Amino acid sequence: MALIATPNRARVDSKTPTPGDNAHTPRRLWRLPAHYLRPQWPRMVLLALTLAATIASQVVTPLVARAFIDEATSGAALRVLIVLSLVTMGLALVGQAVAVAETWVAEHVSWTATNELRADLVAHLLRLDPAFHAAHTAGELIERVDGDVSALARFFSRFIVYVLGNGILILAVLVLLFFVDWRVGLGLSLFVLMGLATMLRIRASATPAWVAERQASADFYGFLGEYLAGAEDIRASGAGPFVLRRCAEEMRSWWAVALRAGMWGYAIMASSQGLFALGTAFAFALSAMLYRDGTLTIGTVYLIFQYMVLLRQPTEQLRTEVQDLQQAGASLSRVEELLATSARLTDGPAESLPPGPLAVELDGVSFVYSGDLPALRDISLRLEPGRVLGVVGRTGSGKTTLTRLLLRFYDPDTGAVRLGGIDARDVRIDAVRARIGLVTQDVHLFNASVRANLTLFDDSVPDERLNAVLETVGLDDWLRALPDGLETSLGAGGVGLSAGQAQILACARIFLRDPDIVILDEASARLDPATERLVQAALARLFEGRTGVIVAHRLATIDFADDILVLEDGQVREHGPRLALAADPDSRFAGLLRTATGEVIA
Amino acid sequence: MKQFSTWRLLLQLGRSRPRLSLTHAGLWTVIHSSQLLPGLIAYAFFDTLTGEADTPGGTSLLVALLVAFGLAQVLLIFAAGYAETLMRFVMSGLLRRNLLRHILQRPGADALPFSIGEALSRFRDDAHEAEDDLDWGADVLGSSLFAIVAFLILLYVNARVTLIVFLPMLLVVAVARRASDALGRRRAVSSQATSQVTGAIGDMLAAAQTLQAAGAEARAVAHVRSLNERRRVAMLADRVMTQVLDAITSNTVSIGTALIMLLAASNLRDGSMSVGEFVLFVSYLVYIAEFTDGLGQFLAHYRQTGVAFERMTALVSGAPMTVLVEPSDLHLRGTLPAVSPPTRFATERLELLEARGLTYRFPETERGIDGVDLRLPRGSLTVVTGRVGAGKTTLLRALLGLLPRDAGEMRWNGQPVDDPASFLVPPCAAYTPQTPSLFSETLRQNILLGLPDDPATLAAAIYGAVLEDDVRTLEAGLDTPVGTRGVKLSGGQLQRAAAARMLARNADLLVIDDLSSALDVETERVLWERLFANESTACLAVSHRRAVLQRADHIILLQDGRVTAEGPLEQLLANSAEMRALWHDTESGEGLE
Repeated sequence: MALIATPNRARVDSKTPTPGDNAHTPRRLWRLPAHYLRPQWPRMVLLALTLAATIASQVVTPLVARAFIDEATSGAALRVLIVLSLVTMGLALVGQAVAVAETWVAEHVSWTATNELRADLVAHLLRLDPAFHAAHTAGELIERVDGDVSALARFFSRFIVYVLGNGILILAVLVLLFFVDWRVGLGLSLFVLMGLATMLRIRASATPAWVAERQASADFYGFLGEYLAGAEDIRASGAGPFVLRRCAEEMRSWWAVALRAGMWGYAIMASSQGLFALGTAFAFALSAMLYRDGTLTIGTVYLIFQYMVLLRQPTEQLRTEVQDLQQAGASLSRVEELLATSARLTDGPAESLPPGPLAVELDGVSFVYSGDLPALRDISLRLEPGRVLGVVGRTGSGKTTLTRLLLRFYDPDTGAVRLGGIDARDVRIDAVRARIGLVTQDVHLFNASVRANLTLFDDSVPDERLNAVLETVGLDDWLRALPDGLETSLGAGGVGLSAGQAQILACARIFLRDPDIVILDEASARLDPATERLVQAALARLFEGRTGVIVAHRLATIDFADDILVLEDGQVREHGPRLALAADPDSRFAGLLRTATGEVIA
Repeated sequence: MKQFSTWRLLLQLGRSRPRLSLTHAGLWTVIHSSQLLPGLIAYAFFDTLTGEADTPGGTSLLVALLVAFGLAQVLLIFAAGYAETLMRFVMSGLLRRNLLRHILQRPGADALPFSIGEALSRFRDDAHEAEDDLDWGADVLGSSLFAIVAFLILLYVNARVTLIVFLPMLLVVAVARRASDALGRRRAVSSQATSQVTGAIGDMLAAAQTLQAAGAEARAVAHVRSLNERRRVAMLADRVMTQVLDAITSNTVSIGTALIMLLAASNLRDGSMSVGEFVLFVSYLVYIAEFTDGLGQFLAHYRQTGVAFERMTALVSGAPMTVLVEPSDLHLRGTLPAVSPPTRFATERLELLEARGLTYRFPETERGIDGVDLRLPRGSLTVVTGRVGAGKTTLLRALLGLLPRDAGEMRWNGQPVDDPASFLVPPCAAYTPQTPSLFSETLRQNILLGLPDDPATLAAAIYGAVLEDDVRTLEAGLDTPVGTRGVKLSGGQLQRAAAARMLARNADLLVIDDLSSALDVETERVLWERLFANESTACLAVSHRRAVLQRADHIILLQDGRVTAEGPLEQLLANSAEMRALWHDTESGEGLE
């Protein structure tokens, strides 16, 4: 399989299955579309009916023309000829009206089905763990969720109309040709079969090229998205030429696969054109012979010629459809691959954790990120319900990893994390997370309203509650200054927030939920001391009756912690009540306090 | 800003690769014109068969001609296909490269006025629209040549039938043209709806962890669903309208055929028109209608391309549309371009950078900074401090030209700096933003970002950023891939990697936005110590840390975008209540004992 994976991508995400040899068996190809099309069967029936009408009008028109020529050359009444002309016109008008109806139904079916698929994919991706998201850029995933699904959209809407419809049309024409003369019918059937066989063979060879092309394009947009997001860093570092060189490298590898993929497409077009010309030549030779025998009238020769033209259109459409099918097949296997990527963590059997404040217990916990040095080594500690733990340590000492284990973003390699006495692995993941509120240093703002950013898209939260929370955290002045209040859109193209304001907003999100464990991971690192005090005061109230974990560099931030944990290289260096540690002059914590208050830097 | 018509932009795009464009257009014109032959062969065939005409070689020669025609077509398609694949890739590649280049140049707080997903949709889909237009433009050119010749041949065969049949066709083209205007508006709506969907999907996936931690996955998906639905409605309207337009043009064939039958009825009866002539009329009619059909689609698409160009220009707002189509090398072959080290704008090293009356207000909120003066002599540390939202980051960005200032002037050693965005970059100035971005490259590449790989510079930068221990413990040292957005590094490592990136540039002026937010006290202390060891640079930093404030030669206190106090620390603590509020218990453990 020509799935290009950059070394780091392949290494981080070992759980992604590679599509094996069975990736393109018809059954698999059909399973996904069938699942999404089934609910729309009444519209599919309607589609089949409109399709039948279009085919009928197309097959009948040349028959009318044959009658016209034969009548005209044999000197029939002008009135008959005029009627035949008008019938032709009527058939055309009806055919076009049906075509419009057909488009409407087909597009409706397609967009409903693919939108469902898009939403399901987003839902699926949101279930996957951080390791997956770390290994894939958002740009790459957009290309997969929207790019690949859009390639499928045409397949969903038009496959039936073109492939099935054209198949029936070709069959109908060939059957009629057999009635005209069996030699003509047989000859042209052979051509059609040859054409289809050639195209299918080309399709089989071309699909890997198309898969590679889509992957290359996803890689390119992954690259682009990442550098666009960091455009300011690039500008300020004068690194524009570097990015443009990287762009040239990415385009160069994309072009190599794009050319191969493109030329396979033209191979199909060329074979269809060549075969059609040969088919027409054959039809001419045969009908010339039969006309001279007196077996065929000139009108019938014209009918054969017209049917040959008629065969050309569906074959050409089949050709483009086969081309789309290649793309759709490639996209389909990539979408399936994405859907088959399963979350590394699985739900436990228990539905929920016990109610009330929860104790947090780590029992001999060790954890290693794939291939790295151990992030946590044999950590054991217990935090009683309602107590607040302050975690300090140098960068990279494992503080953030610890919080990730509590939220079950990862499971420990050895040992257990227990919440309220229950191993977190024995409970549904969402039930664990429902009880925990997390604020991190990096706050993600959505390109959506202030309301959606606060409630994370929960429209059921009343305005009064939102206003009250914003007042608690001191964002009420800011809210009043917004042009549309809670409906003002934030983020790109909307109102900007400073990094500090965004952190306060993230704290407000926690106030709106009612978690039993609150985890603050450098949640106020970007605040000035005066604002931090304000937010701290609010948070202190939030901690009442809840268990808390505060990760901080600034020691003032853990002022109201009951216990202190000092981590060093993923190990517990010190753990105990804050006041006791602060009072012990030999403790590491007291040393940190001295560094912080020691006003002079050497 | 001068508006450019779409065709001018397309023409300029085509001109950037004249040989490729001409080869592509030429080959496809030949393919389209060659479609005249089968009709003529059929004409001769029927008339030879019925004895109306006497073709030397008879029907066998005509059959042989048809076979030869088929083989020639196969070869032509391969050649034209290669030209088309290359032309499409090069043209959209050129647009994408130009877009990227200008985005990296344009000033703006968030360098993009759109979410990444939305911006990517413009890179992907809108560039594709232009590529389609160039390709189809060549097709329309080729098939119009065919249509004209076909028309002349038919006129020669039977002028009366030709005129009566083809005049209504012109009318249809006019109607289709009008309808395409309406279609263009639909297109704008539907592509807007598309960007919203891609934007939201990107947003949700980038924030997967936030949503998971809050258990908000289902609600996020519901939000995507509602945008999906809006897009479906817009798309449906768009597609049905396209089909109606198609139906209008295709109806001309069928109605035309019926007209030919009506007109030819008496002629065929009395022998004044041969069956061959009838066949010629019908088959050329099909091709000419295909041409009008293609023309209608092209015109509709042309509108869409106009919209696409506007959407792409919005990404580089401030620059004229023509920057999109500037010729430039894509380097698909040959050696890749060398990354030249940053060129020095200033002739002399920094002695003093002054700014007066620096003002910038965000258009949406009217907040920002107002009339800020700065004086940054070589070897000094100036610290900007103030509460959340006071405008500290805005001040740094406006100084560096990352935001277009509304008022104010700057002088480098007394010389005016008109365009800080292109002047205050390495090696004059280097910057570490508050939330630095790392990219899916190795740590080394992330620090160098194209600088020559000089071990001494790199080692100095890593030492200066207190990153040396981390580099030792990383599995592949400096060549460790840091993952997307640097996820494989801890928050502190990421920030120090960004500091190393700044230091590697050996700039005269260092601008640092709150370096400490992810650093522990000790690491930060070492970092500042090493930073100050270099006496030859000027440093402008945002910080609240006592140690830094004490070290500062000059402190600027911002409140609501204005400087309310400035001077050395003791002076501020004596005179400013706000400074005392900020100083109070800063990071100290005063509350602990």
